[in-house]
Amino acid sequence: MQTAFERTFLVVFFILLFSNNTKAQNSIYSYYDLSEFSFANQKDSLKKAWDCPQLYKDKETQKKYKELWNSRTEFITASIDANNYIYDDAIYHYLSKIVIDLEKANSQLLKQKPLLLVDRSPSVNAYALGENVIVVNLGLITFAKTREDLALAIAHELSHNILNHAENSMENTAVWLTSDEFKNSMNSVLDSKYERLTRLKKVLETFTFDRSRHSRYHESDADSLAVILLKNSHISFDPEFFLRLDSTDEEYREPLKNPVKSYFTAYNIPLEETLFQKRAKGLSSHTYNFHDNETLADSLKTHPDCVKRYEKTKDEISIFGTTTPIPADIKEKANKMLIWNIYDNQNLTECLYRILLEKDNGNVDPWYDFMMYNVLEGLYYSSIQLNRFNAVGIKPKEYISKDYYELQNFLEQIPLDKLQEFCKAASSQAFWNNVPADARGMKSLFDSLNSGSANNGKVQVAAAKEYLTTFPYSMYCEFAEHFKK
Amino acid sequence: MQFFMRKPLLALALCLSTAISHAQTKIIKEVSDDIETQTRPIIQDNSLVGYLVFTRLEQASQDSFNYKITLMDENLNDIGTINFRDIGLELGSVAFDQDVLCLAYLQSTVKGKIFKKIKEAKHSEDKNDVVTQFLTLEGKIIKVNAIPAEVESSLQLAGNRWVHRGYQYTENLKHAIQLKNVSGKGFVLFYGDANGCNLAAFDFKGIQLWRKKIEDKQDFALLASKSDIYLLEKEQEKYIEGGGSLVGFDFDKGSAYPKIQMEDRDGRSLTLMSFGNDPVTGNPYLCGKVINSRFGNHIVSAKNFTTGPYDGVYTMSINGHSKKDIKQTFVYWKDGSQQPAINTKGYVADAASFMVLSDAFRDYNGNTYFVGTELIRRLKIGTLVASLITIPTFVLPPMILGIGGTNKCKATNAIVMKLSPKGVLTYDNTINCANTRFVKANTDYRDIDQRDYYDLSNPESKNTYVVADDLKNIMIYNVAEKKVVRTIAHKAGNIRTYVAPAKEGHFMVIEYNKKEKYTSLSIEPLN
Repeated sequence: MQTAFERTFLVVFFILLFSNNTKAQNSIYSYYDLSEFSFANQKDSLKKAWDCPQLYKDKETQKKYKELWNSRTEFITASIDANNYIYDDAIYHYLSKIVIDLEKANSQLLKQKPLLLVDRSPSVNAYALGENVIVVNLGLITFAKTREDLALAIAHELSHNILNHAENSMENTAVWLTSDEFKNSMNSVLDSKYERLTRLKKVLETFTFDRSRHSRYHESDADSLAVILLKNSHISFDPEFFLRLDSTDEEYREPLKNPVKSYFTAYNIPLEETLFQKRAKGLSSHTYNFHDNETLADSLKTHPDCVKRYEKTKDEISIFGTTTPIPADIKEKANKMLIWNIYDNQNLTECLYRILLEKDNGNVDPWYDFMMYNVLEGLYYSSIQLNRFNAVGIKPKEYISKDYYELQNFLEQIPLDKLQEFCKAASSQAFWNNVPADARGMKSLFDSLNSGSANNGKVQVAAAKEYLTTFPYSMYCEFAEHFKK
Repeated sequence: MQFFMRKPLLALALCLSTAISHAQTKIIKEVSDDIETQTRPIIQDNSLVGYLVFTRLEQASQDSFNYKITLMDENLNDIGTINFRDIGLELGSVAFDQDVLCLAYLQSTVKGKIFKKIKEAKHSEDKNDVVTQFLTLEGKIIKVNAIPAEVESSLQLAGNRWVHRGYQYTENLKHAIQLKNVSGKGFVLFYGDANGCNLAAFDFKGIQLWRKKIEDKQDFALLASKSDIYLLEKEQEKYIEGGGSLVGFDFDKGSAYPKIQMEDRDGRSLTLMSFGNDPVTGNPYLCGKVINSRFGNHIVSAKNFTTGPYDGVYTMSINGHSKKDIKQTFVYWKDGSQQPAINTKGYVADAASFMVLSDAFRDYNGNTYFVGTELIRRLKIGTLVASLITIPTFVLPPMILGIGGTNKCKATNAIVMKLSPKGVLTYDNTINCANTRFVKANTDYRDIDQRDYYDLSNPESKNTYVVADDLKNIMIYNVAEKKVVRTIAHKAGNIRTYVAPAKEGHFMVIEYNKKEKYTSLSIEPLN
């Protein structure tokens, strides 16, 4: 026989278990996983711990060094406040395991476990901030194919920290900016009667060239050390990853498998072909080929070309068993987080194109249909707020595929009443039965945002507050927060 | 310390800005003070196809400057830059056709120079030219032409109120540069200087085909239509609003067609409200009002608009070069033929107001629309009663009537009048706008009605829109659907919003955040 206490305990236990499951199912991540909340403590610790060391007797140089030092602290704390970073258990632990493997095998070089951050940027990149902090972008996680690809990027960033590149760079900059040579050359700009801007540019380019030259050496050094760190950790190094990096700008040049129009057939709304074609006259449709005399001289690039990086390291190839693909659930999660962040930043064409690419991959997850609904409603909202142009974010034809071009034409040109029909059709699709409550809650939030009521401001605030109260842990709270004030 | 450098240019910019912010800001400020920028829309066949930013970067030598031209497409995306060196230039106008850009400048040997002493300035050589520069979309300057010009120049203090940097010249042409593309043919340039006015044609290689001297008039407007050029001239005397004539030229030969006087059969002069290309035929058309010979031509106060200053409206289509090709439609209300809809003084019964028309345009169905403000006039009952009561005093009534007047006026909504292709003029609709309060009828009308009107069109949907821009809101009105499609408040919190024309079928929204001091742009569809 169970006692009353035991029965109560079991009921509470199952309620808690159920509620936890609900929370896990509801969101890809929790609102409180955003850096503003999840790294609040680390932010305060960083501020206290990152005290600028006294390196120079010369007051001016020390002051400049402190300015640079503080700007780095400000960069990271501002990024935390702006929710540029996110803490997600699965992704963090996956990356952290790579870091731990590298750290254990290279304990002589890596004496402390680094602080690892995940940046929500879609840019295929990672970066080191010095002081044992490295950051991996979500864009790199979705781009990389294997654990070894990620390990190379992480090892490269760890190498920067091991070699004190960030600190050295700040020191060199402080010394240069306070040097007599720099001051004299700056003052000579004003002494000259003619070509002041050209002279000023030259002074700054000399400074940049110097920095870039060092930076390029730094990159090569970091690549070389990264190969050693990987070898010590028995992680395979495939230099071909550098070659693949050359294609990261191609993400929106990838064509769709089907005509753009076909992705909207589910809504049963007739669409004229002309909506996908550019209709307004303009220079964007002409062929132009400027000999741009402002492109960056090779000597000013901070990173060596990917091909050069490949050439330099190709003999270092090392294979330890087979490569390990990044688990599908990690990739899927990172991709969803990325798509949501692109959406929340109001880059609607980019967001929708990535959704369509997922559909091309055979992904039938209703979340993507839900995001398609969000894009349509977001576009309608942007239109009534006279901000469709910025929400669509028109890219020149040279940087995108024909399909992307057609999609942005469609989003730019679809009349408001037709867009409203689309929103209505999307809100009654079958996928709504398969999405969690917090996603369904977005529907009533959009109903209020796009109500067109004369008192829309107050209606918006009330709807946003209601959403935040009803689904306080939902990742979509980030969107509702925009309308709270 | 990034793993992969994706955007080197951005990195350089950031790097430079960091350096700049940490370097001597005074030097940066002084160098940037010398930079001057002019932005112009790039127009082809009356449509905006892009934007051009012309920047004078720095003085390169005693006589020359370094310049940069930045081209942007119709979506404000950069498509390229061109750097060159020349003497002082001021950009006048830009046109585009057949992948060639034509820029017209006023060039001067003294422009942009700062003279320390006034004597030095006066002794300097002041030579001016009107320059045409032809660029390709590969960024090549293919041809530069210069025509000597006599400008009106004046010496002014350079710098600001506190710091005088010396003296500099301000130079102006008598008639500003006008430049148009003639579709598939070339470009046409018009300007006027102290020696008279000039009309010149160029092909796409930048070769001057011909140049003509034009007799000086008060004002000019240039229009290109198919293979012809039209110059609308405004006579200097007699009429404030009317007194115009239209002269056409063959683009290839430069030969002139017979002049068309802007007056009706009875010799009444015509105002010009619109001079453009018919959206369907592309032929030139003009429309406006017929000036009443007694009450017209001296309108100052609101009351003047209620006494019948105009006899009617007209529209004129220039379908060819001979007299029979000119289709004219005149509709008069002065003769009472429009009663009871419009009385002889221009009072519209359906709108219960007088009409102060200020914009006119053609739609895609051959209709001509006239748009303006509804004006209401009322008797000042209180003033009249007061003057009656005070009659025994003999002195007060004239004083009361003199100060207050007997009538009051107010500007209310916008009125849309439609002139059908068959020549029937009807009241079409009223656009709700912010009303002014009643003021004395003899108040200057410009102080009452500060609403601007202009029209936009979407060639794709063949819809025409009226923009009624008053002090409070901007209304965008779809003419065919007879409804306001957008109402944009000028002021919302710290943000002030303005609207301007943009690429075909779109309008530009310019938002200035007063508190955070930034401007944002958006190009929104009209539909």
